[in-house]
Amino acid sequence: MKTIREINEKIKKGDAVVVTAEEMIEIVEEMGPKGAAKEVDVVTTGTFGAMCSSGVFLNFGHSDPPIKMMRTYLNGVEAYSGLAAVDAYLGAAQPNSDDDIDINYGGAHVIEDLVAGKEVRLVAEGYTTDCYPRKRVSTTITLEDLNQAIMVNPRNSYQTYPAATNSREEKIYTYMGTLLPEYSNINYSGAGQLNPLQNDYNRERKTYNTIGIGTKIFLGGGIGYIIGEGTQHNPEKAFGTLMVKGDLKTMSTKFLRAGTMPNYGCTLYVGVGVPIPVLNEEVAKACAVRDEDIQVPILDFGVPRRDRPVVARTNYKELRKGEVTIEIYDNELKRWVEKTVKTASISSYKKSREVAEELKRWILNGDFTLSEPVAPLGRGSCKPMKAEAKLVRDILSKPPIVARPNISIEEAARILTEKNINHLPIVDEEGRLLGIVTSWDIAKAVAQNIKSICEIMTRKVISSTLDEPIDVVARKMSRYDISGVPVVDSGGRVVGMVTAEDLSKLLGYRKF
Amino acid sequence: MKKRIYYWVHEEYRDKPIISKVILETKVMINILVAKMRPQESFLILELSGSKEQIEKALNLLKKYGEYEDIPKTIEKNKERCIDCGACIVHCPVNAISREEDFTIVFNDKECIGCKNCVKICPLKAIEVCEI
Repeated sequence: MKTIREINEKIKKGDAVVVTAEEMIEIVEEMGPKGAAKEVDVVTTGTFGAMCSSGVFLNFGHSDPPIKMMRTYLNGVEAYSGLAAVDAYLGAAQPNSDDDIDINYGGAHVIEDLVAGKEVRLVAEGYTTDCYPRKRVSTTITLEDLNQAIMVNPRNSYQTYPAATNSREEKIYTYMGTLLPEYSNINYSGAGQLNPLQNDYNRERKTYNTIGIGTKIFLGGGIGYIIGEGTQHNPEKAFGTLMVKGDLKTMSTKFLRAGTMPNYGCTLYVGVGVPIPVLNEEVAKACAVRDEDIQVPILDFGVPRRDRPVVARTNYKELRKGEVTIEIYDNELKRWVEKTVKTASISSYKKSREVAEELKRWILNGDFTLSEPVAPLGRGSCKPMKAEAKLVRDILSKPPIVARPNISIEEAARILTEKNINHLPIVDEEGRLLGIVTSWDIAKAVAQNIKSICEIMTRKVISSTLDEPIDVVARKMSRYDISGVPVVDSGGRVVGMVTAEDLSKLLGYRKF
Repeated sequence: MKKRIYYWVHEEYRDKPIISKVILETKVMINILVAKMRPQESFLILELSGSKEQIEKALNLLKKYGEYEDIPKTIEKNKERCIDCGACIVHCPVNAISREEDFTIVFNDKECIGCKNCVKICPLKAIEVCEI
C-alpha cells in the first residue's frame, strides 16, 4: 500500500502524519485498521527501563609511549580490554572494583557521567612488548577525548517481561527490585502498549512486521540502529529482544540513566524508541495493541530456581492500576485465599511516553527519516544452560541422627560426642522437626545449669528440602549465620542434616 | 487536628504504659506509626489526633515521661534524578507517595514520617530525606 520511500518523501516535505502508539489505539478504534493505514504514516513507540545488557565500546587513542591496555579501569570500574591495544568494552552491570563502593557506582554510572560531560579517571595496565613498551597509564578523560564511544547493547527493549512477587517470609532483593515478604508487592517492568516490539508484532506469523537489521531508531536521546535480534530473542513466545547500537556522543542523560537495584547490582536505564512505518492494514492493526491485550505472568521470585512458578496471570492495564488480586495458598488456613497486592513499576511509563513523543517531534520536524531494513530479525533462541544443579539429595548420605525432646542434656551431649556432630534435630514421635540443639546450646545449658532440652532448643529452625540446590543452602547458612540445616521431607520429617562441613568438603574436593 | 511527632521515652518510664495513660487522660487518638522498644532505647513515631486543647494536653503529658520533637519537612524528590517509575510507592508505610494521572510521582511531605524506606529502595537515588 505504502513504501518507506514514499513515507520519507512525505517526511521531507513536512506532510507525514505521525502519531504515538498510544494515539494510534484510538485512531484504529475509530477508523479501523484499513482507514488508519491510509491516514497514518508513522507510529512512534518508546520504552524506558533498566537494561543491564548494555555497554559501550571505547577507543582511547594511543598514549606516548604506547601501551597495550589489558586491565582498564574507569573511575574504578573495570572495562574489558581483551581487544586491540586501546579498545575496551564497558558493561553497564560491572560493579566498582572498590568493594566499599561496589554496585553503588558501576559501569552504568561511568556511562552516565561520560554522557554528562564529566571527567572520568582512566587507569590502565598492560604487559609490555617491543611495540607497546608502556606498563601503566593514569589520566583523566572526558567523552570528547575519546575517538569512539559506541554503545552496543546485546539485549534491549524486551517485548514483555514477567512481573515479580515473593512467597517467602523474608524480604528479598532481586533484579526486579525489592520484594516484600508473603506476596506483599508485585513489581513489573515494561512499556506495554508503547513498547516497540509489541507494536510491530505479527501475532499470526509470530514475526515482526517492519523491524529488521538496519532499522534506524531513537537510542538514549540520540540516533541508533537495530543491528539484529537481541540475545534470548524468543518471537515464538512474544518475548522478542533487540540488539542495538548508537553513538554515545549524541546521547543525553535525559534518556540514559544509571541506577542501582538495592542489594542486587547496577544497571542502565535506556530510552529506546522505534518508528514503525504504517505500510499496510496489517501493520496498523498491530500498532493498535493495548495494555489489556498483553498478558503478563506474575512469577514467584521467592523460589530461587530458573523456572519460577507462575502465581497468576494479568496484563499491563491491571498492573498499572496499582493493585492486582491474586489467589495464594494459605498454609495456616490450608486453602486458597484471595489477596489484593499493590503493584509498582520499575520502568518508567512517563519516560516511555517522552521517548515516543520526542521521536515523533524529530520526524515531524523532518530531522529523522526512516531506514529500509536490510534483513529481518533472526529467529533467536532462548533455551536453558546445560549445567546440572547439585541438590541436597546428592550430598545427603548419612541416615538422620535425631532425638526426642524428653532426653536429658547429658544424653544429648553423649549423642553429639559419640556421633561426632554439632547439630541435633529434635523431633516428635512421627519424626517431624520440632527444634534443633547444637553443641553450643549444650555448653550454655551446662553453664547456666539448665536441665531440659525444651528450654535450650531453637524452635524456629531454618531447614532445607531434598530438592533444594546446595547453592541455596549455602546462602541460607551465610544469611542466617548458622552452620547446619536439617533436611525435611514434604511431611516435615527429618531425613538428614547438611552442615557447613559438608559444603566445604564439596569445595575442597580433590581428584588427586 | 493531627500532629506527628518523634518521641523518646525516658529510661525510668520504659516499662510503663505511657501511651495508654496519655490516651486515657486526654482522650486523644494516638496512632503508633513506628515503635522501637529495646532495653537501650524506646523510640516512637506518633500521630495524635483530636482538638487543639487535647493535643496540647497530650504533648504536656508526654513531655513528663520523655522528649518529643516535631517531624520536620523530610522527603524531597530530586526532579533531575527521578525517572517517575514508581518503585517507591509500595514501600511507603503512610501512603505519602502517589502517582498522578500523567504518571508523575508526587510526594506529600505532610504525610511523610521520615522512615527512609523509599530512599533505600530508589534505584536512581532520587529521594532526599532531611537528617533528623
